[in-house]
Order: sequence, then C-alpha cells, then structure tokens
Amino acid sequence: MTPLALLLTLSALLFSLGLLAVLTRRNVILILVGIELMLNAANLNFIAFWRYGPPEAGLTGPVFVLFSIAIAAAEAAAGLAIVLMVFRHTRSTDLNRLDSLHG
Amino acid sequence: MIPLLLITPLILLAALGAVWKARPVHAALLLALSLSLIGGLYLMIGAEFIGLVQFMVYVGGVAILIVFSLLITRPGDEAEEVARRPRSVATGIACVVPVLGMLLYAFSKGLPEQGSEGAAPSLPIKDLGDRLFTYDLPAVLAVAVLLTAVLIGAALFARNFDKNPEPPADS
Amino acid sequence: MKPVLVLLLTLALSGLGWAGEAGPLVTGESLPRLPQRLVEMILEAVSAPEWLVAIGSFAAAAGTVVGVFLGGFALLSLFERKVLARVQNRLGPNRAGYFGILQPVADGIKMLTKEDIVPTKAEWLLHLIAPVLIVVPAVLALGVIPYGREWLPVPLELGLVFFFAVGAMTEIAIFMAGWASGSKFPMLGAMRAISQMISYELPLMLSALAVVMMTGTLSLSGIVENQQGFHLWILPAWNILTPWGMVAGLVFLIAGIAEANRCPFDLPEGESEIVAGHMTEYSGFKYALFFMGEYLGLFAISGLWITLFLGGWQAPLPGLGFVPSWIWFFGKLAVVIFFFLWIRGTFPRVRIDQLMRFAWLFLIPLGLLTLPVAAVWEYSGRGTLGWLICGAMLLVPFVMLTVFYNRRLAPATRRYHFIE
Repeated sequence: MTPLALLLTLSALLFSLGLLAVLTRRNVILILVGIELMLNAANLNFIAFWRYGPPEAGLTGPVFVLFSIAIAAAEAAAGLAIVLMVFRHTRSTDLNRLDSLHG
Repeated sequence: MIPLLLITPLILLAALGAVWKARPVHAALLLALSLSLIGGLYLMIGAEFIGLVQFMVYVGGVAILIVFSLLITRPGDEAEEVARRPRSVATGIACVVPVLGMLLYAFSKGLPEQGSEGAAPSLPIKDLGDRLFTYDLPAVLAVAVLLTAVLIGAALFARNFDKNPEPPADS
Repeated sequence: MKPVLVLLLTLALSGLGWAGEAGPLVTGESLPRLPQRLVEMILEAVSAPEWLVAIGSFAAAAGTVVGVFLGGFALLSLFERKVLARVQNRLGPNRAGYFGILQPVADGIKMLTKEDIVPTKAEWLLHLIAPVLIVVPAVLALGVIPYGREWLPVPLELGLVFFFAVGAMTEIAIFMAGWASGSKFPMLGAMRAISQMISYELPLMLSALAVVMMTGTLSLSGIVENQQGFHLWILPAWNILTPWGMVAGLVFLIAGIAEANRCPFDLPEGESEIVAGHMTEYSGFKYALFFMGEYLGLFAISGLWITLFLGGWQAPLPGLGFVPSWIWFFGKLAVVIFFFLWIRGTFPRVRIDQLMRFAWLFLIPLGLLTLPVAAVWEYSGRGTLGWLICGAMLLVPFVMLTVFYNRRLAPATRRYHFIE
C-alpha cells in the first residue's frame, strides 16, 4: 500500500463517517460536526495528491485547501448563528421538531 | 510511511467517536481531537503552513464555536438518542456503504501508476503568498467579501432582539 | 551595593565572552546553549547513532528553556506578591528565608501535599487532562521565541503562525476544565474566558500581521534581525518607534494582557463574582498547574511582544553589543513583567460588557487601521513626511473612536442601591 492509497482510504472513510453523522444525528449542531468531517476529508485529498501525486500540479492543492478552510470557517460561523436564532424561536435544536414554517 | 500508519487509525478512532458518542460535548471534543490529528498529519507530510492553519482555524475557531453553541442550546436528553439509535444507524449505514464503496473503487481505479514518494515537494511560504496575491487574487477578494459578510451577518443574527435588553439605568 | 553586583555580574559575563575567543566551548553569548553542547559532545563521544544525538540535543535545548522558565515562574510568583504588597503599602511574604526568597518552595510543598479532590459530578478524564493541556501550549510557544543571537531553541520558519496555532489549544483546555468540573461557577468562568480569548485574539493577530507585512517574514528570528541598527545614532530601530508600530504595539500589549487573563481583564477568575472561574473545582497540584500555565503564558506573550516590537535581543543603545544578547532579552522581559504587575496593582477590574465592547469596537478597528498605516509608512519614505501622514491617519480615527466610545458606548452611569 502506497502512502497515497493510505491517505485516500483515510479520506474516503472520514467522508463516510461524516455522511453517517449527517444522516443519523438529529441535533443540528452535531450535523455540522459531520459536515466538518466531510470537508476535512476533501482537504486531505488535496494535500495527499499535492504530496504524493504527479508533481506538475504545483501549489494548486495547498492553495485550494487554504480557501476551503476559510470557507469552512465562514460556513460554521453562519450556520451556528442561524442555529442560535432558530433555537431562540423554538427552544430546540432537534431537526425533527423544526417542521413548522410558522416562526 | 510508519508514522502515517500510526496516526491514521488514531484519526479514524477520534472521528468515529465524534460520530458515535451520544453526549454532544464529547462528540465535539472528539471532533476537535480528530481535526488536530489531521493537522498533525499535514505537519508530518511536509505541509507545515496548512497544518498550522488547520490547528488555528479548526481547533481555535470551529471546535470552540461548536462547543459554545452546544452549551447555549443545551441539547436534549441522550437516552432518547440512544434508544432510537439502531434504526437510524441501520438506515445511515445502508446509505453510506454504497458511497464508501464508490469512493474506494474510484480511488483504486484512478491512482497514478507510481506517485512521487521521494522528497516532499517544498511548500515555501513566500511562493504561496506570491501565488495567492497574483494568480488567485480574485478568489482571495471573493473570500474576503464572504468572510466580512459572514462576520456582519452572524453578528446581526446572534444579536439580542429583546425590546429592552439593558436594565433600566436607575431603579 | 546592588548596582555594583549587577555591574560585576555583567562584566564577568562579558569577560566570559572575551575569553571565549580562544576556547570554543562556552562564551557569554552561547552560555545558555551549554547544556545542549554538553549533551551533544557526550553522545558523540560514546558514538551514539545520529538520531539519538538529534533527540538528545533537542531534549537538552527544550530542557534549558523549561528549566529557565520554571525558575522564572517560581521567582515571578514571589516577585508579584512583593510588588503588589509594595503598591498596597504592605510588606508581602517575608517569613520563609531572607526577603521571603523561599516562599515559592513553601508554596510548592503546600500545593504538592494537598489532597487532590475530584468532584463526584466531574468527568474525571477531562478533569484530569485539562490542566496538562493548559501547560503544554505555553511551553510549546516558549520554544519558538529567539532569546539571544545564538539561543533559539527551535528555529522555525513559521514561528509566528506556530505561536498562534498552539495558543488555540488553550481555549479548548479551558473549556474542558470548566465543563468537566460539572459545576456552575467553572462553567460560567470558562464561557467568559473563551469569549474573552476569542475576542482578543483578533486584535492580537491583526497587530502582529502589521509586523509581518513590514518585515516580510514569519520567522521570529528574522523579525528580530530586521530591527537591527539605530536611527540618528541613538534611537534603536525597533518597531515600537515607528508610527504604525506604536499603535500596533499598544494594541498587542492590551490584547496580550487580556489573552494572559491578567488584571484588569481577569474576569474569568474574578474572585468577587465567580469564585475562581474554571479553576474552582481544582485543588492541589492540578491547581498549581493552572497557575503555572498562566504564568508561562504570560512569559510567552510578553516574550512575543518583545520580539515583535521591542527588538527582541537587540541592545537598546549603540556600543552595548558586548553584553550577551540574551541578557537584553531577559532584561526587557523583566521590565515588561513589572509593567504588568504595576497595571495589576493600580487598575480596577472591568465589567464583562465593557470588556467585549472594548475589544470589538476599539481594539479591532485600531488593529485594522495599522495595516494601511504601515503601507503608507513604507511608501512615504519612512521619514518626516511619513510621520506626518501616518500621525494624521492614526490620530483622526483614534480621536473619533474615543469620542464615539465615550459618548454612545460607555455604559450609562449606574447607581447601585441596596435591595429594598
């Protein structure tokens, strides 16, 4: 098993775990946890290909990961702000209870 | 290779804990552990700057935000979560396994014949900066606008909309 | 008597430096690296494998730093009580040894022999590792600061990023301490501490960013070397003596005090409100670890301030280059720490809403302002013209912010009454 294959397997497993969290959790915040895991799996792929892949790609992988990290931070901040606002209205973060359009 | 083999199961275990733990704060802390281990992995394979940024943003920012909002929202009881677990997990796994299989199949098919396993490609911080502020400048500006918008938006969202937030000056 | 002693010590150390021209083992300059050299020599003498030499040398370098700063921690705990006592017109500890010099030893023995209590409702594992996780980042951060021309424990190209990255661990550790204690006061204290640290990290990084922008490097030793030389033969070329550096340095200093949880920003452990914040449920050695982490963090943040703005190990006056450079660093460190203690002795503690407003509405705008000001300073020739333009650019927003802050945002006068 080459390092590249190892890292790709790791990222595939991390992605699946994140997907599992998104599918099984009911708390909105814990769904965000799953999304962070999935984003990190994608980042891991970029870094793995930059390090062990064909050398022509240059700095594209790390640069992309930098942008991805920035956007993940923005996504977490905006998401949690929305969750807090929803919580203020409904006193719950359980997705199954957030089924009403009426604020 | 050996350090990689050592840290990979640790990352997976921490991520599994983050997905499996019924107590939300434990899950968030394990997520922080898993993300910081990924940062350590980046440090190991020569992407120092990315690893440190990962530490700074995910451990210092995202994980803290998550535990903080967990504390504010006081999530419901864990017993209910555990009780309904078998069914939801079965459904989840039924959905996830095909995805995992497809990913692994694609990776096994698409791998280059031989990767460059020798010397790590260097990641000089100056080159990264040059590249970011010449070739990728539009993207940097877009991200800057996005982050500013999120900062203001989050502050507005999270503001207290009470009519009379301040206690009366003298009473 | 004491000045004479100091003079003699300095002369002896610089004498070591002159004697060192002949013997390569130790000079005044490389004295702190002596343990590392000795370990390397011994390991090479017994022809140990190369990796073992590398590990041994690294361990010796790290051990030197940890030893020096643990000694500094013991001294500081005494010094702080003495200085505060002087400010408050008391004597301070004076029973254990001459001048109370053995007080840290007595404190240490007391802390070690106390019973270690873990509350029933605590999560014992998180409760156990939180104090350790508080000390670790402080020690790691101390490892990248250049203490002298030859004394740089871990030369790292990304030293500044590393410093902030390990600092992120402290927040998680404080959260763990507060949450795992399973009690109200620690939780409240941890929430206060985390929100304070997140808010004050932004001005801290922004003002450090101005330095990075001007020097074009993230390596701390590179930043120190960039501040070499003198203006007008007498003024050192430190960053604090430039218009942007003055404001950035001030912002960094204030934010650094808040990051280190020092008075007047020590709300997370405000005794009068929430007992001891996140440390309430800790006792014995774990409590001592919290204090150690706090003091080491104070050393680290003041060391970084000195490195970024006060010229690191550079001598303050021309012609003083013969004194070993690390003496200058630790001299500056002592002055900065004394300044912190002075502030603690004389300032009242701020309220939580004042604390957050001060960070978001005053320090962050000022920190953002330093970036364009630094650019203007660079392109206006770094001279009198630069001083005029930059001064105007800084003064106008500063006055506006101050007026704004005082008029609209300062909390209304409150009158406190007894409950009727």
